[in-house]
Amino acid sequence: MSIAIPASISSRRIPVLPKRGQISWFEIVLLVISLGLVVSGIAPSLQDVILLSFLFAGLGLAWNIAGGYAGLISFGHSAFFGVGAYTSTILLLRYDISPWIGIWVGALIAAVFGSILALICARLRGPFFILSTLAFAEVVRIGALNWSSLTGGPEGLSIPPMASLAGMVFASKATYAALMLGYLVFVYGITKGLEASRFGYYLFAIRDNDDAASAAGVNPLLGRTAAMALSAALTGVGGSLFAQYFLYLDPTYVISPELSFQFALLPAVGGLGTAIGPVLGSFLITPLSELLRSHLGNAAAGLHLVIYSFGLIVVMLYFPAGLAGALNKLTRWKPFS
Amino acid sequence: MSTLTQLVLSGILIGSVYALMSIGLTLIFGVLRIVNFAHGEFLMIAMYGGWAFSNLFGLNPYVAALAIVPAMFLFGAVVYWLVISPALDKPHLVVVFATMALSIFLQNAALMAMTADLRDIPPIFNRSITIGPIFLKVELLLGFLITILCTVGLQWMIKKTYLGKAIRATVQDGEAAMLMGIPVPRIFLITFAGGSALVGLAACVMVPLFSVFPSVGLNFVLIAFVIVVLGGMGSIEGALLGGICVGVMQSLSGYYIAPAFGQMFFFVLFLLVMIFRPNGLLGQKGAAMIGMNE
Repeated sequence: MSIAIPASISSRRIPVLPKRGQISWFEIVLLVISLGLVVSGIAPSLQDVILLSFLFAGLGLAWNIAGGYAGLISFGHSAFFGVGAYTSTILLLRYDISPWIGIWVGALIAAVFGSILALICARLRGPFFILSTLAFAEVVRIGALNWSSLTGGPEGLSIPPMASLAGMVFASKATYAALMLGYLVFVYGITKGLEASRFGYYLFAIRDNDDAASAAGVNPLLGRTAAMALSAALTGVGGSLFAQYFLYLDPTYVISPELSFQFALLPAVGGLGTAIGPVLGSFLITPLSELLRSHLGNAAAGLHLVIYSFGLIVVMLYFPAGLAGALNKLTRWKPFS
Repeated sequence: MSTLTQLVLSGILIGSVYALMSIGLTLIFGVLRIVNFAHGEFLMIAMYGGWAFSNLFGLNPYVAALAIVPAMFLFGAVVYWLVISPALDKPHLVVVFATMALSIFLQNAALMAMTADLRDIPPIFNRSITIGPIFLKVELLLGFLITILCTVGLQWMIKKTYLGKAIRATVQDGEAAMLMGIPVPRIFLITFAGGSALVGLAACVMVPLFSVFPSVGLNFVLIAFVIVVLGGMGSIEGALLGGICVGVMQSLSGYYIAPAFGQMFFFVLFLLVMIFRPNGLLGQKGAAMIGMNE
């Protein structure tokens, strides 16, 4: 029987597929397949699913920088997503500033929000940290709902659907898919760089043992704040891209606990604290939930989420190291030795 | 003046109902040291139970509690057995995600079974009690009484009975309790099931006051989290105090400011408590450090 003896942190760490700072053949194959999917433009009906998988893989990676690498399990990331989405959209609608610039402004403001959250939660750990991030996102959501003059309130904001390169609105879904893949590769590159960098090692140290890290001269508060800010900024970029694709924003979807959970679930299913984990998680879960939704959505409301959440419980209970962990075991399996 | 008294009094009463809903959560947190994200869905299921009894048999929910509370105890035991217990020896995050997935599961299963319609039961009491210029809903007064009885009863149980002693020993040091011959896994099971039974009771009190729909739990679970943290995780009388604080704040800010901002206020309050008093108002010292080793 199980007793609440806390699992040691070392047992939680998953051997990363390639060595830190290197790229494995697995990642290259995955990239080539993704590029192929975009360039060949097969199955137009699947294009939605493909580009959403890319977008959410990027968002999962962004969450993973805070949640996986720095140990800051946040259920408030939809706040940063919303801040990014609203910033670029408001700049476009009101000041006619191209989203190509607005995205970076959104990332900056999201980073400020991320730093604020990290400072609020500086002393909190475990469930307290999680609940505070949830409350933070709720404050941002209710703020966005009620500040109608800026955000349009519950009616939301719409971007006029006129295709233009400067306006980052495209007629073809393949272009969007390329954009999302670009975002995914960008966040992936940052994650890989982080893994091999000094800052990355600081974060691992802070995650694994706060006191030991600060005794060794690492400033935990600074590390946490920087990790949260980086993660928030990248999430904000994803939010802007989302807004440019759907051309519509409203606070109840863009800043919702459900969305925050989704960002966290992808790395959890794929493998926390690994670069490939969130990508695997998104490539598995996003198509699954989209297809289940489109096939079963009309027949029975909620059935796809019933199946999806049931699968999730099973994965969490039996593969706590995620897909990356399971795959890693598989590659280490030597049948003839 | 009478408006203010009216607002404060109804705030206290509604807050006590919120507190009843939060006691199960704080109990489970205090003993198992896990946050049950599916708590709101437990409430939703029990509220549907209360609605069904009223709709099918014409029983009022206070009578139906006799069936719903034991049923929720069993339901909690089954959930503990299927989901919580296998997750307990895994990293903290597994419990978090497993209970969250359970919450999505139950919510959508309810959506499939009951559709998204709002369900109400016919009013039980035709009139409010009036004291001078002040009106009080009988349902709220009953809820207040039940909450007080429950809090006192639980306190007595935890302080005086053998089971209560075993629970306290488990909270203080699970390993030492095991060595003293306390069946810790069974204490966990009883606590989790007991917490679920308390949610069942809270649901019976809430059915006459609120409509039931599949995502009703989400609205209340966030309030419950605020209350539990405000009162100090694991503290039962803290939950009562926290509930009353939240109820009064909601009722005052709902009247003097916009209701939507009232909601924002208690999340801000929550964050302020987290910054300045992470152990809560009545929490034990170091309560915030529980779950440090995630």
